[in-house]
Amino acid sequence: MLLTKKTGGTQVAARSPFVHSLQRGLAAALPTMDRRAFLRRSGLGVGVGIAASSLTLVKKAKAADGKGPAVGDGRVEVKRTVCTHCSVGCAIDAVVENGLWVRQEPVFDSPINLGAHCCKGAAIREHGHGEFRLRYPMKLVNGKYQRISWDQALDEITARLQDLRKASGPESVFWIGSSKHSNEQSYLMRKFVSLWGSNNCDHQARICHSTTVAGVANTWGYGAMTNSYNDLQNSKAALYIGSNAAEAHPVSMLHMLHAKENGTKLMVADPRFTRTAAKADQYIRFRSGSDIPFLFGVLYHVFKNGWEDKKYLNDRVYGMDKVREDVLAKWTPDKVQEACGVPEAEVFKVAQTMAMNRPSTIVWCMGQTQHSIGNAMVRASCILQLALGNIGVAGGGANIFRGHDNVQGATDVGPNPDSLPGYYGIAEGAWRHYAKVWNVDYDWIKGRFQNATMMTKPGMTVSRWIDGVLEKNELLDQDPNLRGVFYWGHAPNSQTRGLEMKRAMDKLDLLVVVDPYPSATAAMAAMPGQEGDLNPNRAVYLLPAATQFETSGSCTASNRSLQWREKVIEPLWESRSDHMIMYQLAQKLGFGAELTKNYKMQKVKGMDEPVPEDILREINKSNWTIGYTGQSPERLKAHMKNMAAFDVKTLKCKGNVKDKDTGYDLTGDYFGLPWPCYGTPELKHPGSPNLYDTTKHVMDGGGCFRANFGVEKDGVNLLAEDGSFPVGCEIQTGYPEVDHVLVKKLGWWEELTPEERSAAEGKNWKTDLSGGLIRVAMKNHGVHCFGNAKARAVVWNFPDPIPQHREPIYSTRPDLVAKYPTHDDKKAFWRTPTLYKTLQQKNLTDKVAEKFPLILTSGRLTEYEGGGEETRSNPWLAELQQEAFVEINPQTAAAKGIKQGDRVWLRTPTGAQLNVQALVTERVGPDTCWMPFHFSGRWQGNDMLAYYPNGAAPVVRGEAVNTATTYGYDSVTMMQETKTTICNIERA
Amino acid sequence: MARMKFICDSERCIECNSCVTACKNEHEVPWGVNRRRVVTLNDGVPGERSVSVACMHCSDAPCMAVCPVNCFYRTEEGVVLHDKDTCIGCGYCSYACPFGAPQFPAAGTFGVRGKMDKCTFCAGGPEANGSQAEFEKYGRNRLAEGKLPACAEMCSTKALLGGDGDVIADIFRNRVLKRGKGAEVWGWGTAYGSKQAGQPGGAKS
Amino acid sequence: QSQSSTPAGGGSTATPTGAAPGAKLAPEDLPPGQQQGVPGIQGQNIFEVKPEVKRDASSEPGYLQQNNGQRNAVQPGNNAPMWRGVQAGREGYSSLPKSQAPEAGVLIQEPVQYPGSRMTTAGQAWREVRNNWIIPYGGALLLIAVLGLGIFYFVKGPLGHATVDSGPMRIERFTPFERAAHWVNAIAFVVLGLSGIVMAFGKFFLLPVMGLTLFGYFTYLLKNLHNFFGPLFAVSLVIVIVAFIRDNFPQKGDLRWLLRLGGMLGGNEMPSHRFNAMEKVIFWVGTLLLGVIVVGSGLVMDKLIPSLLYDRQTMQVTNMIHATAAALMLAIMFLHIYVGTVGFRGAYTGMRHGYVNEPWAKEHHAYWYEDIRAGKVPAQRSKPAEVAGGTQAVHTV
Ligand SMILES: Nc1nc2c(c(=O)[nH]1)N[C@H]1C(S)=C(S)[C@@H](COP(=O)(O)OP(=O)(O)OC[C@H]3O[C@@H](n4cnc5c(=O)[nH]c(N)nc54)[C@H](O)[C@@H]3O)O[C@H]1N2
Ligand SMILES: Nc1nc2c(c(=O)[nH]1)N[C@H]1C(S)=C(S)[C@@H](COP(=O)(O)OP(=O)(O)OC[C@H]3O[C@@H](n4cnc5c(=O)[nH]c(N)nc54)[C@H](O)[C@@H]3O)O[C@H]1N2
Ligand code: HEM
Ligand code: HEM
Ligand code: SF4
Ligand code: SF4
Ligand code: SF4
Ligand code: SF4
Ligand code: SF4
Ligand SMILES: [Mo]
Repeated sequence: MLLTKKTGGTQVAARSPFVHSLQRGLAAALPTMDRRAFLRRSGLGVGVGIAASSLTLVKKAKAADGKGPAVGDGRVEVKRTVCTHCSVGCAIDAVVENGLWVRQEPVFDSPINLGAHCCKGAAIREHGHGEFRLRYPMKLVNGKYQRISWDQALDEITARLQDLRKASGPESVFWIGSSKHSNEQSYLMRKFVSLWGSNNCDHQARICHSTTVAGVANTWGYGAMTNSYNDLQNSKAALYIGSNAAEAHPVSMLHMLHAKENGTKLMVADPRFTRTAAKADQYIRFRSGSDIPFLFGVLYHVFKNGWEDKKYLNDRVYGMDKVREDVLAKWTPDKVQEACGVPEAEVFKVAQTMAMNRPSTIVWCMGQTQHSIGNAMVRASCILQLALGNIGVAGGGANIFRGHDNVQGATDVGPNPDSLPGYYGIAEGAWRHYAKVWNVDYDWIKGRFQNATMMTKPGMTVSRWIDGVLEKNELLDQDPNLRGVFYWGHAPNSQTRGLEMKRAMDKLDLLVVVDPYPSATAAMAAMPGQEGDLNPNRAVYLLPAATQFETSGSCTASNRSLQWREKVIEPLWESRSDHMIMYQLAQKLGFGAELTKNYKMQKVKGMDEPVPEDILREINKSNWTIGYTGQSPERLKAHMKNMAAFDVKTLKCKGNVKDKDTGYDLTGDYFGLPWPCYGTPELKHPGSPNLYDTTKHVMDGGGCFRANFGVEKDGVNLLAEDGSFPVGCEIQTGYPEVDHVLVKKLGWWEELTPEERSAAEGKNWKTDLSGGLIRVAMKNHGVHCFGNAKARAVVWNFPDPIPQHREPIYSTRPDLVAKYPTHDDKKAFWRTPTLYKTLQQKNLTDKVAEKFPLILTSGRLTEYEGGGEETRSNPWLAELQQEAFVEINPQTAAAKGIKQGDRVWLRTPTGAQLNVQALVTERVGPDTCWMPFHFSGRWQGNDMLAYYPNGAAPVVRGEAVNTATTYGYDSVTMMQETKTTICNIERA
Repeated sequence: MARMKFICDSERCIECNSCVTACKNEHEVPWGVNRRRVVTLNDGVPGERSVSVACMHCSDAPCMAVCPVNCFYRTEEGVVLHDKDTCIGCGYCSYACPFGAPQFPAAGTFGVRGKMDKCTFCAGGPEANGSQAEFEKYGRNRLAEGKLPACAEMCSTKALLGGDGDVIADIFRNRVLKRGKGAEVWGWGTAYGSKQAGQPGGAKS
Repeated sequence: QSQSSTPAGGGSTATPTGAAPGAKLAPEDLPPGQQQGVPGIQGQNIFEVKPEVKRDASSEPGYLQQNNGQRNAVQPGNNAPMWRGVQAGREGYSSLPKSQAPEAGVLIQEPVQYPGSRMTTAGQAWREVRNNWIIPYGGALLLIAVLGLGIFYFVKGPLGHATVDSGPMRIERFTPFERAAHWVNAIAFVVLGLSGIVMAFGKFFLLPVMGLTLFGYFTYLLKNLHNFFGPLFAVSLVIVIVAFIRDNFPQKGDLRWLLRLGGMLGGNEMPSHRFNAMEKVIFWVGTLLLGVIVVGSGLVMDKLIPSLLYDRQTMQVTNMIHATAAALMLAIMFLHIYVGTVGFRGAYTGMRHGYVNEPWAKEHHAYWYEDIRAGKVPAQRSKPAEVAGGTQAVHTV
């Protein structure tokens, strides 16, 4: 008896009429058993807790429980938001019914993701449940977290802060902000810390792409991805080196695989055979930490075969001749193979593919950045692309896939210890610029600092705050040791040397965690530590922050496009938005008015909250350097509403499109107005899809390399040569950046309006608050405001002007350490002393490599993000990865008697021993082990569940690899060395 | 009438599990029940490919054939659905299904499994389309809303195609052709059937 | 994460032994622009092709032995080796833990050939065995058994002469313990049998009558009864076997009894000990052998055997064993039940109340009766206390 049901109809179509009527009759008589009911009843084997909780979730979704924000009229609304789990920036339509997030739909119109998601984006609605979140403020009392009120929490925290300030000055507190904050929140955070009177703030970018940002910016101007995910479709060849996009940026593969179908050659170089490698035409396995030998090995063949773009190098690049000499001398195929293990033929093939299939692009990510020589590695990649003439070209570029959803934005306008929003630096001029923008007296700000020196001294970094606590005071480059730390949207298990972090946490006076899922930090702080470490006066507070779905604001995807998130739901439980918390703290600390002078307030849950649009407008008014000025809230919202208008390959608006509601004309715009979007919104700069692209007019997103390093170096011209300029530029040779002097010299001063003139007098394009200089130069004359210069193959202000290979501090290869030793130690580097050579030498003498003969590297799983507390609290994701594990090659495993699924002890020189599951796989070579870094909640073999705040433990817990990762920091940015260290593994 | 089918393009699938969580999300599927899962073959070595699999809505469905209570039925679009009110949780469909599609909320002793749950092609169950009862037992009925399966719609790389068999077969064929590799991919013999020396008699793979 | 499989030689993309793919190609074989291409790749414009001289990767030696990596190196996108593995049931990697989803890594069940099936995917093979053999023939067997007994009853009526009226019930045939065990066992069996029959055949005779929903609920109830009565049956069966095994060993006269079919069809019954040969056959085959098989397989299907991996193939095999044995056992037990109820005068009372009268014993179990008379076997085996406590009352019925 086959039954058929019509999909279109509303009733069940005929089975046998008799059976049907009988069945229906009975169905009416016998109440059908509710699925949840039978699940509950038969829930014997179901993951306990999960079963129960998913039941309540449904009930909640059904019944708008009393606590919900309950609009009450059964309204169904669709809110457009953006996934918060990585920098791809996939758009999501959230369906909200009665204030409850009941459904999510893919946004097919989005040119970035065309409706596609990875598992995290597809599970994003769980944020509307928030079952395992912190629900109310809590305080650690006698080892247990207790619920307190917001008022009590804010009062006590600010009182503590004032005490610390009085006793040890503003530098005694370290503020760890977040790449998960919106642009507005990140910006406000930097402003908050500035008004508190310190530069001691940082966020994830430090341990993510800081080396990229520094290395790339110093090479050609801006520290960002040059092209876009979409632009991969224009590439003819792509080299992914140190990026596992298939797991870390899954939706980017949509574009790459499409390109591949059209013939793009995909090469993946990685110590690990990743899911990305599985899609490659060529996979190159090499030793972790040896990117420079490999890249320069490729470059060697480029030079040997004359494949470099000679005209391009002449016109647009400085110092390649010196690099050429160095490479040809040092990186002959034998040396390359010795250092990175790749035979000549494979290296040659990469060079050939890159050279023969131009435009070719390079993609890198954490595999290159997280090293003590990360800054040099990323520059080696830049140099390769410059040599091939691939930068500033559609289909080429340095496609640096960034990390968090808004790490790009937080880097651009957020809490950095060495710069104010927009990379303005922290010199007096920058402070004055911001004093003006903020409408706050410069001297008043100065007075907030300990003294003028501290105002211009870069703060500590998030990678080193533990040393700020633990290090001997006289060795620190600031007066007090750190006594208070704010973890404001940042996990603890993402920083190395976890065992020492535990000690540092115990010694603090004040630890405040502001996070929707503060539990990893909370459990670590509550867990008993070493005898004598615990500061008897320590206070620990947890504040429930709202997620990005509970507020609105903009975020910057990796391709520099800004997207506006609408608020999906009201803050769950007792949580409050980050900017509201900042405002409330500032008020109690006495600078609330200064913080929010330019903003209106809106009521959320009856309380004042600064309006995000106003904060964005302030960003628009100040961030000229990187072109965050054109992206007004109105323009961004028009883009979000009209996504279908943009071309998937170019991101450009197709034809003439006007926003129906506001009448805003999108014609010519690139999606999300990828920064730099120069000048005022009224200038209507369309954003820059690909940086440094001379084939386009500057008012159509074209450009050239930035003049940021002077006009000449040792008598060599640093400006672009004659004939190299963006299309339509009136100055057809190199020139320095635009300022009032240059404009006057060129006779364009009169083109400014009188108001513009008075604002621009004595200013350059970055400090002219009127935007007049930019308008005149770019719009009227096609002249790029930041000048037209050469990219630098030699970055003379870096420790290794030409990138040099140096072995990691913990290396399994003493022979190579001897040949390629690391840097000398540094004394006061981001306020902390930093070891290089002494430690590397000590490791050599102690023969640690014999005790720990395997390379340990770490990275990402698709299912989890970052420290993972948020994603491990999402049952839909957690189910898919239930155990922390270490990947071991079958050969190595066999030698150690380890079988698939065995428990093993992983030990490293930090003294850590992790109890994890063995995944025996050929993904890694015999000399390498790999661990995902997303786990926490188990500590050296023990479960930390007892130390979590009640009900706020994630679904899955596991050992954090970062208790095992060792000392080692980048010589420019203080990036931690998470990608190459050593370990040993034994059966447990 | 359209016949609904899935194709998972293993050249594209990256084991991102989006299809899995999309399904969990859309239908509020509980822990332990995986209507869809992703399998990677040759994991970690060249030739690695991933495939996402759920119910294939078979034409001559083994599950349907063995169900002791005949609770399966087929819609006009060829979607194989079942009636949870009738299901007795015997597990036979899962023994018979080649793909391991049928799932059970419990795996307890005494043969306690709960009622079978499986991919519905996002087409709900026998209750009225879009009703609360239907949602609670089978999840959403996207087909009735004129939408395609959530898993396929959200697939990160568009590897997973779900919809009218003819249409998705066309898309897939197009893609294979566009890969530009007709003869190159399949071998001349396979593609065009010519017999040559050294070629085992038609036994092409 | 769970098991990952490693194909033989999977670590390398190189073409297998000896074959240097590009080496034998004459340059004119190569399409324009591909002279320096990857060895073995020979895509070409079909209009320029002269099939006779063309060789492609498939003509290389070892082509059919290539693993997926090697195949992809010469024919990108050709995943035939992988699909062959899938078809062979090769396990891949799945991030779901083994403990939760032991077979998540298997894309398609491995092919097997069960007795009576083709060589095909295990699930399909099981379907063929169950649907083509067990259900129709099992059903037929049961129908035939029932029909046969019905006809027999219709033709012959109840056998035996001695009735409860033929004399005082003084011989204790079954002790209270034996009876308790037997009836628990019997009740469980009836429940199991009925529920089993409904599970196996209900859709043919009950579903059309009851309609889906009611039939579903009914079967759901029976199915759960079946699942829980199984273990009960298992325990009582052991007791029954222990209790009755001694008197079921073959004894002198059994063979003769069997050869003459107890002489029941015509005239007088052959003498037997406490249990006659037919009862013994039913005991050994029906109760012991099939009972143990049904119980054993049932316990597996109930997932009650610890540390066994309950994958689909285990379940398929046990189901086939269970269903086959159950059908046979049912058929045999139909006979037993027939004999124990309407088929044989007086037998039921013996099991019901424990006592039989002398004529009955003499008529049906002559040797046993003689032993009792001779005092070799006590007429009253249970403790007198028990006798006093209740059975005495029914003693005479
Ligand atoms: N699912 C998921 N996606 C994410 C995130 C997440 O947590 N989860 N986080 C986001 C963030 S913050 C970031 S920064 C990105 C990171 O994205 P990726 O950098 O792509 O991810 P990782 O896995 O950290 O590292 C990439 C690869 O580097 C390789 N590697 C290890 N050592 C070396 C080496 O010495 N050299 C080279 N070249 N490669 C090496 C590793 O084997 C690994 O495959 O992902 C973002 N997307
Ligand atoms: N061994 C090893 N270590 C690594 C890496 C590695 O590859 N290997 N990668 C490094 C990299 S690239 C990065 S970026 C870091 C990532 O590591 P983290 O950034 O430390 O990890 P996340 O878990 O992403 O932390 C973000 C936190 O912000 C919270 N959050 C989310 N939304 C909001 C919000 O709106 N407001 C507030 N206040 N909080 C919010 C989340 O709950 C979470 O606790 O890890 C680094 N560490
Ligand atoms: C001795 C009397 C028994 C009979 C006559 C019997 C009969 C049956 C029958 C006919 C089926 C259906 C087979 C099919 O449709 O393919 C079945 C299934 C089953 N039987 Fe039995 N069985 C008996 C004993 C047991 C015992 C002792 C157990 C357990 C200890 C058991 C456990 C099961 C299980 C688990 C199933 C599978 C169906 C389900 O889980 O719903 N059975 N049995
Ligand atoms: C409704 C079901 C049943 C009825 C009415 C029934 C009836 C009887 C009767 C009347 C006797 C006594 C025969 C005699 O006096 O020799 C008997 C004996 C016996 N029955 Fe049953 N029975 C049933 C089910 C079962 C079942 C399911 C089993 C075991 C699987 C079983 C095992 C035995 C055994 C072992 C004996 C003793 C005879 C011997 O060992 O050969 N019976 N039964
Ligand atoms: S995590 Fe990244 S790739 Fe995945 S859905 Fe979110 S934004 Fe897209
Ligand atoms: S459950 Fe299995 S057998 Fe049934 S239709 Fe789906 S794939 Fe086919
Ligand atoms: S578990 Fe349910 S659907 Fe599956 S065969 Fe049994 S009764 Fe039918
Ligand atoms: S079609 Fe629907 S029910 Fe089936 S796997 Fe996809 S999302 Fe789940
Ligand atoms: S969503 Fe698509 S790419 Fe991701 S696992 Fe599923 S089928 Fe594969
Ligand atoms: Mo990152």
